[in-house]
Amino acid sequence: MLDITCDFKSELLGKFAIETEYDIVTVRQTIRQFAKDAGMGIVDQTRITTAVSELFRNMYNYAGGGKVFIESGDVEGHHALIVTCIDHGPGIENLDLAMSDGYTSGMGMGYGLPGAKRLVDRFEIQSKLNEGTTVRIMKWK
Amino acid sequence: MNQYEKRIPIIKIHDYLIVPIQVDMHDKQAIQLQSQILEEIARTRAKGVLIDISVLEMVDSFIGRMLSGMASMAAIMDTSVVIVGMQPAVAITLVELGLEMPGVDTALNMEKGMEMLERKLNTRKIDTY
Amino acid sequence: MKESFNVKNLKNRIDRIEDILASVAAGDMEARIGSDIEDDFSGIEAAIDLLINDLTDELRERAKVQKELESRLSKIQEQQKTILQQQEDLLELSSPVSKVWDNILILPVIGTLDSQRTQVMMENLLQKIVDTGCTISILDITGVPTVDTQVANHLLKTVTAARLLGAECIISGISPAIAQTIVHLGIDLSAIRTKATLQDAMIYSMKQNKRSEEVKALANISFPNENEG
Ligand SMILES: Nc1ncnc2c1ncn2[C@@H]1O[C@H](COP(=O)(O)OP(=O)(O)OP(=O)(O)O)[C@@H](O)[C@H]1O
Ligand SMILES: [Mg+2]
Repeated sequence: MLDITCDFKSELLGKFAIETEYDIVTVRQTIRQFAKDAGMGIVDQTRITTAVSELFRNMYNYAGGGKVFIESGDVEGHHALIVTCIDHGPGIENLDLAMSDGYTSGMGMGYGLPGAKRLVDRFEIQSKLNEGTTVRIMKWK
Repeated sequence: MNQYEKRIPIIKIHDYLIVPIQVDMHDKQAIQLQSQILEEIARTRAKGVLIDISVLEMVDSFIGRMLSGMASMAAIMDTSVVIVGMQPAVAITLVELGLEMPGVDTALNMEKGMEMLERKLNTRKIDTY
Repeated sequence: MKESFNVKNLKNRIDRIEDILASVAAGDMEARIGSDIEDDFSGIEAAIDLLINDLTDELRERAKVQKELESRLSKIQEQQKTILQQQEDLLELSSPVSKVWDNILILPVIGTLDSQRTQVMMENLLQKIVDTGCTISILDITGVPTVDTQVANHLLKTVTAARLLGAECIISGISPAIAQTIVHLGIDLSAIRTKATLQDAMIYSMKQNKRSEEVKALANISFPNENEG
C-alpha cells in the first residue's frame, strides 16, 4: 500500500516484528551491532540506535506494533544503513504537525519524530488514515 | 533470569541512595525503577540520589523523560537527584534529539556527584540555619 | 622446367611445429623448434623460431611493465593512506585540548571552522572532559574569523552536551564580526556563558573553582541544631 520510492540498491540484513516492549530493546541492540559492523563511530551508532528506538516505540504505542526491515545499500554515493518501519495502525492525520517539535497526541514530549529526523542522514515518512504509517531512515558514515 | 527481569539495585550509603543502571531498560522497567526509587526515598529518608548511567549506551526520549521526571518528583519530596557519568555520545544524541533536560543536575563521576549532593545539603543547612 | 622440393620427414616436422606452438601458447617461453636439418623447409622452421623469440621478448617486457605498474600503484595507495591519516591527525591536532589548571580545560580554536571539524572538535572536548574529570572548560574562538549557522549550532550543542555530562563550557573570544553574525542568524546564545577574552574566561573559571572549594569546606562546619527535625 504505502510505497516509498526506492532509488537505491540494497541487501536485506534482517526483518523483525515489534510486538512487545522487549522487542524495542532487542531490535535496537541488533541495529547498533549492524551500525558497528558498518564501521560507524560511537556517536553515529548511538544516533541511529536512539532514532530507531523512537520509531519502534511509536509503532508499539500508536499502532500496536509493526515490522522492521534492515538493509544496507548505496545511497548518494554513501554506504548506508537503512531501516524501514511499517505499521498498519491508525495513521497520522497531520504529518506536518506530527513532525514538529513538542507536538504529541498523547503523554509524550513530542520529540520522537522530529528528533529521529535530526539524528539521521535521510528521513522519509508516509502515512494514511486508517491504513498505517511507514518511516524509512538512513544513516551513513 | 534474563536481563529484562534483573532488578536494578538501589543501594543506601549514609544519607544517599546510589542507583547503578547497568541494563538497557525497556519502558516498563524504567517506570518500575522510578517508583522503586521514590519508595526507597520515603522509606530510608535519603537526602540525595545518585543515578549512575555511565554504562548506558543510549538514552532515548522515554528514559530521558523518566530521568528528568525522577528529578522533579524527588525534588517535591525534598530530595536531590544527580545523574552521574553520562557518556559523550549519549549527551550529543540527547541534545540532537531535543532533550536538553533543563533543571536536571548532572555530574561527571560518582565522586563529583557526591560532592554536589553535599554542597546542596550544606547550602540548604546554611539557608535554614 | 620441373621444380623439385627437397624435404625430409615432412610429416614429423609439421607435427613438431604444432607441438612447439602449442607449448608456447601454453606459456612455455623456452620452447623452440631448433631443427638442425638443412633443406627447403628449414627456412620456415627458422622463421617460426624467430617469431617465437619476438613474441616471448614482448611477453617478458609486458610482464615487467605490469609488475612495475603494480608496485607503483601500491606505493600510491600507501601514500594516499598516509595522506588520509595525516588529514585525520591534523583535524585532531588543530583542536588540541589541554588541561591548563586544576579542573580547567582549554580548547583554543584557530582557523575556519567547518561543520565536520567542529563535530570532531566537539567529540574530542567532551571525551577529554570525561577522561580528565575537569568540570570547567573554555572554548576559545579568538582565532576563528567567522561562523555560519551550522557551526554556531555545533558550538551551542557542545555547551549543552557538556552540561549533560556534568561540566560547564564557557566560550571566549567572540569577535565583533561573529557576534553580529550570531545575532543576525537569530541564534540564541543566552543560555551560554560567554566571556570577552580568554583571560576573562580564565579568571571566571578560577573563581568558580575557588567557590566550590569554599562550599566544600563548609561541610566541616557543624550546625548546632542539625539533628532537630
Ligand atoms: N506509527 C504511528 N502511528 C500513528 N500515529 C503516530 C505514529 N508515530 C507517531 N504518531 C503520532 O505523531 C505524534 C508525534 O510523535 P512523536 O514520536 O514525535 O511524539 P510522541 O510519541 O507523542 O512523544 P515522544 O516520542 O517524545 O515520547 C504522536 O503523538 C502520535 O500522535
Ligand atoms: Mg514518540
